[in-house]
Amino acid sequence: MAYLTQPDYVKYICSCGQLKPITSLYFCRHCLKIRCGFCICHEVDSHYCANCLENMPSSEARLKKNRCSSCFDCPSCFHTLSTRATMAQPRQTPQDPAGGDTKVESKQPKKMYYLSCFNCRWTSRDVGIPDQPVASGGWPERTNPFAARVNQLLDYYKAIALQEKQEKIERERKKFTIRGKYITLTDKTGLTGAMARNIAGLPSSDSSCSAIANFVPSQASAEVEELPEDYYTKEVNLNQITSMPQRLASPEWQPVSVSRLHPLAKLLSVKRSQRCRVCDHNLTKPEYNPGSIKFKIELLAYYHVPEVKIISHEPVKAGEKTALLLKLTNPTGHEMQIKLLQPEDLPPPEEKEEPKSIEKSLEKSLNLEKDTSSYKAIEREPQYSVTSRVTSPPTALTLAQRDDAAEYDDDAQHDTTE
Amino acid sequence: MSHNIKILPGATVCEDCTLEGDITIGGGTVIHPRVTIIAEGGPIIIAEYCIIEEYSTIIHKKSDQQENPPKPLFIGAHNVFEVGCKLESPCGHIGESNVFECRSYVGVDVKIGSGCVVGAACHLTAPQTLVDNTVIWGSEHHIREALEKQPSQLLQLDFLSKVMPNYHRLRKPNVHKRQSSTRQSQEPSPKP
Ligand SMILES: [Zn+2]
Ligand SMILES: [Zn+2]
Ligand SMILES: [Zn+2]
Ligand SMILES: [Zn+2]
Repeated sequence: MAYLTQPDYVKYICSCGQLKPITSLYFCRHCLKIRCGFCICHEVDSHYCANCLENMPSSEARLKKNRCSSCFDCPSCFHTLSTRATMAQPRQTPQDPAGGDTKVESKQPKKMYYLSCFNCRWTSRDVGIPDQPVASGGWPERTNPFAARVNQLLDYYKAIALQEKQEKIERERKKFTIRGKYITLTDKTGLTGAMARNIAGLPSSDSSCSAIANFVPSQASAEVEELPEDYYTKEVNLNQITSMPQRLASPEWQPVSVSRLHPLAKLLSVKRSQRCRVCDHNLTKPEYNPGSIKFKIELLAYYHVPEVKIISHEPVKAGEKTALLLKLTNPTGHEMQIKLLQPEDLPPPEEKEEPKSIEKSLEKSLNLEKDTSSYKAIEREPQYSVTSRVTSPPTALTLAQRDDAAEYDDDAQHDTTE
Repeated sequence: MSHNIKILPGATVCEDCTLEGDITIGGGTVIHPRVTIIAEGGPIIIAEYCIIEEYSTIIHKKSDQQENPPKPLFIGAHNVFEVGCKLESPCGHIGESNVFECRSYVGVDVKIGSGCVVGAACHLTAPQTLVDNTVIWGSEHHIREALEKQPSQLLQLDFLSKVMPNYHRLRKPNVHKRQSSTRQSQEPSPKP
C-alpha cells in the first residue's frame, strides 16, 4: 500500500533491483517483468503549456526556448500570473478603481490589462510595465544583452557537433569497407558523400567550417569594476534585493533589485511516453490532447501485480515470535497463484546477452540513429537490510480474481483470500 | 459581558454569527455567516466597506495593562478578512485595504499599516510592525513590498450586499445616519 503523506511501508523489488512503492512501478506485459522509472526509457511525446493547454510542435518549442509565448510566471514567487482588467480613463495614469468611484465618474472608460500574481500579489505595475490594451500578448520583451555572443557560441558548437558526426560516419564507413563483406549504400549506388549528407538532412560542410574558423574564444580579464564606495556602509533593504532563485529564474539578466524583475515566459511541460528498454514496447502513452489526463497505454503495476497491505503487526522483540497480518489483493481478472519466499530464495537476475546483428548496426550507422547501447536494461541484486525473519506459510496461495461487484456488496467479508 | 452591537445603515450582517461585546459595524461592510467577533477587552470598531468571510475570528483580547476606559480596536475601511482567518489584538489600529488571506493568523503585538497582505496560512506571532503595502506569503513567510495598495473589492461588496439577503437572515441596522456621520469623518480620504 502506498500513501500520499506517509512513508511507503510496502516496497516492491523492481527487475532492476530498486525498491519502490507499487504506485511508481510499471508492469511490462511483454517481458512479464516489473519496471520502474529508473529502468525504462522516457520519451517526450509533445510539448504543451500547462496554463493555456496549447500544444506546440517540438521544433517550434525549441525555437521558443521551451517557453509559452502567451503565459507568464511570477518573477517573485514563480506562480502563474493572471491577466487582470481595469477600467482606465484615457489621458490619466492607470490607477486602481480603489482610488475612488472612477467607475461612476469616467465618461469613456477603456479596458486596460495588467499581469498580477494571486500568490504574492506581484503586479506588472510594480516594475513599471505599462498596462496593455489587449488581454493577451503585447508585453514588452527584453533583449538579452549577450544575445550575439550566445548565438555565436551556438553556431560554433553546432558546427563542431556536425563535424564530429561526419567524422563518425567516415569511420563507420571505413570499418565496413575493410571487412569487404558488406557493400555500403554509397558504394552500391554510387552516391557521393555530399549526397548522402543531403539524404540524411544535414547541411553542407562549408558553412560549418567557417563558423569554426571565425570563432573567437573569450578572454579572461583581470580588470574588474570597482565596488561602489558605500558598499560596506550602505544599509541593506532586503525587500529591495532579489533572492537567489529569483535571479536564477532569468539567467540572462539576473536582476539584483526587485524593480528589475520581469514576467517570466512560462516554461512548457511535456507529455511523455515510457518504453520498456528490453522489448521496446510502450508502458505508458498519454493521449495527445493536453487537457486530457488519460492514457492510451497504461501498464501500471497496480493493475497487474498483487497488492500487499500490512493489516496489523506486533512490536518485534528479539528471540520472540510475533504475528504479522498481510492482505494480498489480486487486481487482475484471473486467478493467481502466490508463493511467499524468503529473501535468499529470490531468483538471481538473469544474464542475457542480446545478439547484436551486424546488419542492424550497419543500418543504424547509415540512418544516423542514436546509439542505443546506453538504453540497455541492467539487472542488479536488490539491496535491503533484514532485521527479522518472516516465517511464511510453505504452501502456495490462490488469489481469486478481482470481483467488480465486491464494492457494492453489503457484507464486508467479501474480500479476496488472505 | 454587555452586548452592544451597533450596525450602521448599509451594512450587511448575517444573523448566524457570534458578536460579543461592544461592536460597531460600518456602512457597506459585509459580514458573512459563522463569523466570530469578540470584544472582550474593549470595543471593536469596523469601518466601512470591509468584507469578513466565513469562519473568520476577530478578537479584542483582554490584557493586563489595560487602560480605563479601554481603547477600542479600530479596523480601517476596505479590509478583507478571508475564510478562516484569525486576528487577535489587544487594542490599536489596523489600517485600510489590508487583506487577511484564508487561515492566516495575526497575533497580539502585530501592528498593521495599510495595504498589507497576510498570505494564506501565514502566522504572525512575533511582535512586529507591518509597514504600508507589505505582502507576506508562502510557508516561509516571504516578505515583499508592493508598490500600491491592493485593489478594492467594491464590485464584490456590491454583489454580496445584493445577493446575501436572498439566502441569509440578516441583522437589521440599528443606528441611524446621524451617528454614522461622525464615523465617516474618521475615514481617511482615498489616495489619488
Ligand atoms: Zn527498475
Ligand atoms: Zn501558455
Ligand atoms: Zn507571485
Ligand atoms: Zn518489456
